Parts: sequence; structure tokens; C-alpha cells
Amino acid sequence: MANIKFNRVNKSFGSNKIITDFSLLVEEDEFLVLVGPSGCGKSTLLRMIAGLEKIDDGEIYINDQKINELHPSKRQTAMVFQSYALYPHMNVYENMSFGLKIEKRPKEEINLKVMQAAKILKIEELLKRKPKELSGGQRQRVAIGRAITRNPKIFLFDEPLSNLDAALRAEMRVEISKLHNQIKTNMIYVTHDQVEAMTLADRIVILNHGNIEQVGTPEEIYNDPENIFVGQFIGSPKMNILEINEENVISENIIKILDNDVQFDKLKLKKSKYFIGIRPEHLKVNQKTSFTFNSEIELVENLGNEKIVYIKKDEHNLSAKIPSNSEINSLIGFDVENIFIFDQDGKRVKT
Amino acid sequence: MRTKNTIIFSLISTFFLIFLISIWKILATLQGLNIQNFNLQIIFILGFLISLAHLTISDKIRNFYKSILFSLIFVICDGYLIQQLPIWYNIGVFLILYFFVNQIKKYNFDNLKEEHSTQVIFFDFLTLFGILFFSFVILFPFYMMLVTSFKTQMALLVNPLDFSINFGQDMKDLFKSYFVIFKSYKFGKYILTSTIVSLGTVIITLLFAIPAAYAIARLNFFGRTFLSTSILIIYMFPAIVLVIPLYTVFSQLGLRNSIEGLLIVYTATTLPVAIYMLQGYFKSIPKELEEAAILDKLSWFGIIFKIIIPLSIPAISSVALYVFMIAWNEFLFSLMFLDNPNSFTLSRAIQYLSGDAETPRQYLMAGSVVVTLPVLFIFVYFEKYLVSGLTAGSVKG
Repeated sequence: MANIKFNRVNKSFGSNKIITDFSLLVEEDEFLVLVGPSGCGKSTLLRMIAGLEKIDDGEIYINDQKINELHPSKRQTAMVFQSYALYPHMNVYENMSFGLKIEKRPKEEINLKVMQAAKILKIEELLKRKPKELSGGQRQRVAIGRAITRNPKIFLFDEPLSNLDAALRAEMRVEISKLHNQIKTNMIYVTHDQVEAMTLADRIVILNHGNIEQVGTPEEIYNDPENIFVGQFIGSPKMNILEINEENVISENIIKILDNDVQFDKLKLKKSKYFIGIRPEHLKVNQKTSFTFNSEIELVENLGNEKIVYIKKDEHNLSAKIPSNSEINSLIGFDVENIFIFDQDGKRVKT
Repeated sequence: MRTKNTIIFSLISTFFLIFLISIWKILATLQGLNIQNFNLQIIFILGFLISLAHLTISDKIRNFYKSILFSLIFVICDGYLIQQLPIWYNIGVFLILYFFVNQIKKYNFDNLKEEHSTQVIFFDFLTLFGILFFSFVILFPFYMMLVTSFKTQMALLVNPLDFSINFGQDMKDLFKSYFVIFKSYKFGKYILTSTIVSLGTVIITLLFAIPAAYAIARLNFFGRTFLSTSILIIYMFPAIVLVIPLYTVFSQLGLRNSIEGLLIVYTATTLPVAIYMLQGYFKSIPKELEEAAILDKLSWFGIIFKIIIPLSIPAISSVALYVFMIAWNEFLFSLMFLDNPNSFTLSRAIQYLSGDAETPRQYLMAGSVVVTLPVLFIFVYFEKYLVSGLTAGSVKG
């Protein structure tokens, strides 16, 4: 029930500029995921919202109230840390009720809130235990429960699942998604894991070196990447990028890609270098496609439900994702609508 | 390889046995036994044979019976064939042998085949040897102190090197020195003074050290690195350098012969190390815990009292223990600043007594025991608080 506005926020540690001119509007009840490679400033942004990190320049507004100078405790945010940060000398109940106790709320209210949170997260039977007697997943639940009892306007998650094993991570991801449906508030979630970003987010912010590369819904980010970085960051294995030289740009709307002359509509190309992006899942084997090329198969990884085929075509190394029941064949096909064109600077050329 | 290892094993274990038996014989001599000959050759041969026999028999008979058998053979050979000695001496030898055979029970021909087994044997026995040697070196003076305090003036004059305790005498006579030091030498008062000074130092030191250590560990302020590195600089000044200027200052301020004066000096000397120890521990507490506490609306003092202190109880109690021991045992400053017997601390009182030629030695030793025992008991009691790992479970899995 809050909107957050970043207005040209800057942050540097020493001479190291972490975030430059960051502006963004987070809408009410939105689940926003900040994603990017490590060191891109995503955690710093989160900590600036919480007030654990000073804002060097620019402003952050919550519900049109400037919070730059506001004490962390007055910002009505709750943070879930990567390392859980549970108080080890208190049991689960005390951990979850600690913030309310500091505020000197009445006992019944505290009890009610803790019980509600415990019920949402299904940790009612753990309330008497100490953090060291809990498993990783249970600790993370308690940490989220502690955030819920604070009744914040904004939930901040700082890579909350990266200490869990893969199975538990998938389970908790679903839990967090459900939680957001249950308690409609703003959630800002930092992760470096693209799967978490794609599955959880209402909107994704892709960051690199403290700059926004793209903001959009998961579909937009996947289907309509604005540049090579975004294209390669989302999707696994990452998008194949082919360098196209001037002589392969045949006319202003025809490019020679992998031995095929591919014609695009509505395109005005100059005679210069371009980058072509095509996702591994869009390279097809044994399927009817408009274009095909012959290649050399280097390696096949069988993942059970699908196969990753590493292929070599001239000087290009490509990977293709195909269903595991399909035969391997060196004849690879692709369609024109799955091709992304990027200019020399990596910016998308819209088709 | 096996033959070589077997011989080395037997030799090392034999020397270890000789060491044990020799210590026992020395102690027995001090108890008044008249042992003319240590019979090292015979012990050597016996020990060597026992080691070999142990390897040959290995686990054909149960270890318990084997130990008893070997011990009995040794006791009979050593005690009854060579020289007649009282039964308690032989029981001691028996126990030593029992211990010895149990120590070597884990070796057998199988693991002696391995190439590195000589090293393992060597270090095993070196460890044992080290433990026994150093505990002997440390415990023996304490034993002397204890024994002397239980003697009469007469017994001390007759044979000063007799280290036996005569338990036959009346309990009142046995503890006479302790009654005397409390009655005629006012040791009760000294203990009280020492306790007040030591506890006072602990409290004041912790009062200053905890916030200071927290500030150095966590807060960013001007001169922080300089401060944290310069904390230990005070230790570059030997106490004796400080004592004389302090003496003049304290004389003028009227702080000599006062507990307050001692508290000031003791706090000043223990504070640096206390801060240093605590800040190291505070740094090891995950920072996220405090950040979580900030979001829980705690103030800085709230964080210190509700998060940092409960989590640092092991560190705080070891610092308290350290400070207490320093203050309890401190001698130089109390020697310089206290010259009125009414305000003496224990260590100062003992020095005062020993300076007096008429004070019998057994009283001095009784006094020394009184100084030592509290520290010993406190250490044993506090030891359980020194367990680490209180932060377990707060972060990560």
C-alpha cells in the first residue's frame, strides 16, 4: 500500500560509483524484482530503501514522503536478509515478537500477530525452538515471519533464497509468491537468479553497473529485450549472439544469417556491423522452419526433459535447446520472428 | 619395516615408562622413603619386554586382564624382588603400569606395518610426555606450598626438605597456620580488601570496555583506526616507569592507601586488553543481526544491551575472569601505593609478612594458599561460561 519513487539516486563507496542517477517509480502493491550480476548495486538500492545505507545524492519517496533523512525504524519497511539474521539467543516466538515488544504494544496484540504470521508460514509448532535447532528453510520462514509481524508497508528481500538448496529454493519461491497474493503489499526482491526473477516478479528491473538496463514485466523482458545484456541475462542457456559483418548485410532489410538470406519487414539497415541474437530454445531440430543450416555437433548434454546441443557453424559457437525425445540431427532450423537484431552498441533494432 | 617400527615403538614406550617410574620414585623419596637405587636397567628391560609381550599377545586375551597381568609382574619384580618397599608405593607402581599398558593398547603388529607409524608413535608419546612434564613442573611448587602450610615450626626446622604431610596429627594442629593467619594477621580483612578491589576493577573495566569495544568494532568515527591501534600502546610502558610519577600524583591527590586509587590504576592497566579482546569478539557477531535490530526500532543502547551483550557472554566472562585475576594478583602498584596495613591487599600483605623475619614460613605458605584458592575456584566455576558458539544458528545453515 505504498508507492516508492527514486529520483536520480546516487551512491558511491569511496571512489567507487555504485549507483548513478537511478530513477524509478514502484507502484502500489507491486512485486518488483531487482536482478543483475553481483556488484551491480542491487543490494545497495535495497539497503538505501531500508535506511541501512546513506543516500549520497537524489531522493527516495515513499507515498510522496521524502525518506532520505528518516530513521530506518520510521520507514515502515521490513527486511529479510540473505543470512536470515535471526537473534540466536531468542526462540522463534521471541524473534518474531521482538519488534512489537520494542514498540511496547499490548501482549494480546503481539500474540495475535505472531500467531497469524506463524499460521501463514506454517511454523506454529516451531515457536518454542531456538534458531540453531531449525533447518535452513525453517529459518528463512521465521525470518519472513518476523518481517510479517512488523506489518510493514514495504517488504524488502535481500537474496533470501540463495542459502537454500535447489529443491527448497523452488518450494520457498512458491511460498513467497503465495504470500504476496495473501498480503497485498509492496515487495522488493533482490536476486541474481533469473528464475526467481521471472517467476516472482510483477515487474523486473535489470541492473548492470548501477544502471537500469531494462524495466518491464517478465514477458516483456523475455520477448522484447532492449539490448544484448538483457537478452543474454535472461534465459538459460543464454542467448546466442552472432556477429554480422558489413558484407553480410545484403540490403536494408535482408541479412545473411547462417547461410540464409533472411528478409525482415519494416527494417532499414545501414551498411555496418550488427549483432544477431537467437535463443537456444528457438533453434530447432526435425521441425518445420523457414530457414535451416548445416552444422557440426560438438557435444550433447541430456538434462532429462530436454537436451542442450552445442554446435559449431563456421566461426560461431551456438547452443540449442531441444526436447529430449527428438533425434539429434546436424540440420538446424530457425524462424525469422525469433531473431533479435542489435546494433554495434548492443542496442536493439526493432523489427 | 615392521621390525624397525617394533623396536622403535618398544624403545619409546620404555623410555616413557622409565620417566613415569622415575617421577614416582622422586615423589616417594620426598615422602620419606629411602630408595638407594633407581634400578633403571631393570625397569628398562622389564619395560621393553612388556612392550614386546603386549604386541605378541595383542588381543588374544582381554585388555583388562592383560593390563592387570603385566602390572602385577612388574610390581613383583620391581618391588618385592629388588627392594622391599611399603605397600602404597607398590600400589602407585601398579597404577602407573596399568595406565601405561592402557596407553599402548592401541598399537599392534598390524598398524606397525605402516610406514608412518613411527611418527605417530613418536608424537603420541611426545604429547603424553609434555603433558606430564609440564603438569609436574606447575603442580610441584603448589604442592610444596600446600605441604609447608600444614607443618609446624618444629617440623620445618628439623627437616626442611621433608615433603610429607603428617595426617596423624590432630586436625586443629594440621590447620593451625590457617587459624593463625586469620586470627593474628588479619587475613580476613585483606581478603575483603582484595575482593572489593578485584570485583570493583572488573565492574569498572567492563563498564568502560563494552561501549568502547563496540564503538571500535562497529561505529565509524574520526580517528577510529588510530584509536584501535593505539589501545595497546599503553603496554609499551613498563609498569615500573609509570609507578613513580603516579606515586607523586597520588600522594598529592591523597589517593595513596585508598581503594579508589588502586581501582583507578588497575582499571587503566586492564582496560586496553579488555577492549582489545571484546572488540575482536564483537566484530565476529554478524552485522545483519544489528541491522535487523535497527529495523526492529532498537536504539544503539538497545542493540548493545539486548543483542550484543547477551551474545557476548562467553567473551565478557573471559574478560571478567582475566581482569579479576590481574587485579587479584597485582603486586607492584599495591606495593608502592599501600603502606598502611589497614588497606593492604592480599599480595601486599604476604610481601609484608615475608619482609618480617619473625614471621614463620608455614604462615606465609598458608597465606599463599589463601591467595591462590579463590582464583582457582572462580576459574573452575566460570569455565562453563567460556564455551563459544553462542551465535550458532543466527546466520546461514
